[in-house]
Amino acid sequence: MKKLLAGLALCQGLTLTSLATAADLTIGGLLPMSGSNAEYGQIFSSGANLAVEHINASKMLSGKLSIVYEDSQALPMQGVIGMNKLVNVAKVPFVLSAFTGVSKAIAPIGTRSKTVMVNGGGVGPDLAELGEYFWNTIPLVDFEVRAMVPYLVKQRGLKRIALVYVDDPLGQSVVKELKTELGKAGGELAGSFSVPATAQQFSGIAARVRDVKPDAVYIASYGSQQGQIVKQLRDNGVSQQIASYSAFAIPSTLALPEARGAMFTSQKVDWNKSDDITRRMLDDYKKQYGKEPNMYVLNYYNAVRTFGVLAAALEKAGKPVTGENLLAQRKATKTFDFVGATVSFADNGTIQAPIQINEIGDKGAKPIADAAH
Amino acid sequence: MLAYLQNIAVLFCVNAMLAVTLNFIMGYAGIFSLAHAIFFGVGAYVAANIAMHFSDSLLLCVAGAVLVSGALSMVLALPALRVRGEYFVAASLGLQVIGVTVFSEWKGVTGGLGGLVGIPPPTVFGHALATPGEFLALAVAGLAAVLLITTALLRGSFGRSLMAIRDSESAAQAAGKWVAAIKTLSVAVSAGLAGVAGAIYAFYMSFVNVEGFMLETSILLMAMVIIGGTGTVFGPIIGAALLMLLPAALTYLPFLPPSELGTVQQIVYGAIMVLLMMYRPGGLVGGRRKGGKA
Amino acid sequence: MLFVQLFVNGIQTGALYALIAAGFSLIFGTTRVFHVAHGATFTLAGFVFYELYTALAWAWPLAALGAGVAAAVFGMLVDRYVYSVIQRHEAAFFTVFVASFGLAIVVQNLITIGFGRGLVTVPTPLSKSLELLPGLYVAPMAAVAVLCAAVAFGLLHWLLTHTNLGLALRALGENPDLVRVYGLTPRRLSQYVFLIGSLLAVPAAILTAATSGLNPSMGHHIMLISIAATIVGGVGSLRGAAVAGLLLGMAENLSLAWIDPQWSEAVTFVVLFLFILFRPGGVFGRAVAS
Repeated sequence: MKKLLAGLALCQGLTLTSLATAADLTIGGLLPMSGSNAEYGQIFSSGANLAVEHINASKMLSGKLSIVYEDSQALPMQGVIGMNKLVNVAKVPFVLSAFTGVSKAIAPIGTRSKTVMVNGGGVGPDLAELGEYFWNTIPLVDFEVRAMVPYLVKQRGLKRIALVYVDDPLGQSVVKELKTELGKAGGELAGSFSVPATAQQFSGIAARVRDVKPDAVYIASYGSQQGQIVKQLRDNGVSQQIASYSAFAIPSTLALPEARGAMFTSQKVDWNKSDDITRRMLDDYKKQYGKEPNMYVLNYYNAVRTFGVLAAALEKAGKPVTGENLLAQRKATKTFDFVGATVSFADNGTIQAPIQINEIGDKGAKPIADAAH
Repeated sequence: MLAYLQNIAVLFCVNAMLAVTLNFIMGYAGIFSLAHAIFFGVGAYVAANIAMHFSDSLLLCVAGAVLVSGALSMVLALPALRVRGEYFVAASLGLQVIGVTVFSEWKGVTGGLGGLVGIPPPTVFGHALATPGEFLALAVAGLAAVLLITTALLRGSFGRSLMAIRDSESAAQAAGKWVAAIKTLSVAVSAGLAGVAGAIYAFYMSFVNVEGFMLETSILLMAMVIIGGTGTVFGPIIGAALLMLLPAALTYLPFLPPSELGTVQQIVYGAIMVLLMMYRPGGLVGGRRKGGKA
Repeated sequence: MLFVQLFVNGIQTGALYALIAAGFSLIFGTTRVFHVAHGATFTLAGFVFYELYTALAWAWPLAALGAGVAAAVFGMLVDRYVYSVIQRHEAAFFTVFVASFGLAIVVQNLITIGFGRGLVTVPTPLSKSLELLPGLYVAPMAAVAVLCAAVAFGLLHWLLTHTNLGLALRALGENPDLVRVYGLTPRRLSQYVFLIGSLLAVPAAILTAATSGLNPSMGHHIMLISIAATIVGGVGSLRGAAVAGLLLGMAENLSLAWIDPQWSEAVTFVVLFLFILFRPGGVFGRAVAS
């Protein structure tokens, strides 16, 4: 045991001496790199990496920016270990986070050590309550539902909605919001069916969904499971319109033949915004990965960009780039130019951003409408 | 760096407590349970609930955790009394899956899939434990207590009876040992002390959710005991150290591409399990021979 | 009509579960090896089929053959180079279990590196259901699944009762030492068992790829089902595994008529737990002394 500790200390010593300049900055990425949610980690990190590249290429900061990753496996305990390493060993002032369970577990650590944590993937309502140092670059699900419902009811005339959801805070929030919003818009929640997070067979659920004869089906799940739900609903005679939230923006769901025609909300991104930031991000991503970036890529790109903007401002003012200063700087900054949109942070660290409705077609998703305010 | 090591140390102590208590029934009673994470979870949820709703006294919360975990272990004791070997493993597997479903659905007590946030720090004689150093002291104290209790039980006649039952149940019965009572008691002790680990974990993380108590955790604990060496005192501790520190140490390897970091770590972890079982099945402490010594 | 629909769903799910459990049950029943890496065999077979059929556009019989080769080779290699080494110096059940589990982790992550992390499905018109009666939707896949299960179990039954190899395999399950007396080697027979058992995972994997899709971490779920069906059906009884698979699939679906879907997975394990408490021999197994 002692030998192991000495070995670890030696390793840390070695990494410290390899850091060249004091002006170089490092941020952390606590993402699921392995396990059943590793697809998300891959997507999120591609956005973050591109942003780091761009920040270095345009010399936004005085030194070089690099990002160090820890594998959270989307599990709280692993997340805590990874967070501790990032905060205490790599000493980063800024960490990218993902998955609600992990975020909740690391929030106390970030708050105690005054490290900024940014989520660009989860949309559960509990993510708004994790303290000052926890920010979100993605609008939370209640906004998304509020955007989808009027569109479904008023623009598409789909009044009876059936809901299939995973019974966690996100799902529960969707149930609540759907009921309220449908009531306001003149629609009706025809039935709500919760599924366990590990379920893989949905033919029974499909039967019950058919039974309530809905006009549309709203799905609140994520990862592999949401694809399985879509496929099995379609296979089992549910031909109604499918609607969901931003979790649909993963490659495996977008590529699923059964998901064609499904609609989902996401943060509004004006692809035609001709400003440099948007163009460069789009072009470089397409060059590197051969396809268009999805919303998640954008959110993590934007998160890192936010760091870049704030850190640059701090450097100009001669202040050290610490979590505390980053928070103060964010509060002092009115708006941020994200890729495809300009947003502002609310006091509780969430962003208010316009929402758009997308539809899945042959080549991925395309925006079809803006949400009414 | 110190804080990081303290963090790993606290979680190591918690895992070691779980491994030692699992070894108590696996290595000495021959009861191979895949449901240990459930008792860990029960302890955590009970302690969290007591702290959040009644009193944050450490003693009270831990006592509650021990009592409820121990009482619940009767569900595991039932199949332990009726079947052995693979059948018991499958029954414990069933209990593990059912337990996870209960944790996920009983929202009033466990917070459902969202878990319980903001668990207050425990107080000892009016002083709230908040710093990493204090939690480390608590965790080490917990591990020491678990080791003391289990070793004391094993050194005495209880331990001898337990091992007699493991080696030949019918002979033990013929010799007049009350097999059912001893088995039940051992399961209760194991579960109750796992509950202590759960309480410490809940306070340290100040957040618990079902993701920490799933089948993967139970399997990891079982691997710790087996790799370290069943039926030995230090085996589970070595096993816990290895399986916990290994992923942390692997993150220092510079040549791994960041996107494959996690998968390579898991591959190494799996490969080590396989190789150890092939060439050193008694575990690291037990050596080539399996089975326990007193 | 909901009940009838759930019943039919139950038959489809049950047939799939029976197929999944068959391989594991055969291996465990004859060699007493708790081969949890069977879940990895399943995942491997599924992904190989997907790669050959969907990505490389081979014809499906060829792709199935490819998957079969991959599964069989994997199973046999694991037996030859891992299990036999362990069994040489001791027969502790849990040592093999932990080694098998380690293997499953390694394979799961290798598949993740090779095939990506997301859901993959094998698109086929057979999975689309047709409305046979108002409110009753059945996919051709259901018939395919039942047919596959019937053929697989039929072949297996014939193999075990009408061939010398089958006789030797059954003897292996009952009394390995006696097998040696007859001049056969348990080692050689074990290789056959793993060959056949691993092949059995292939149809189930292909059907699952076509109905609910594959992802690299599905091995656990597969193993849970296999273990539950094997024990409920009775260790050593293939008929039992088939019946139990069907029973569990039915229970999971029919229970949806009365209880919330969150609990349907737990239903399978409550059934398992009750069987172990009151009838550990399973439906068809030998009596188990406690």
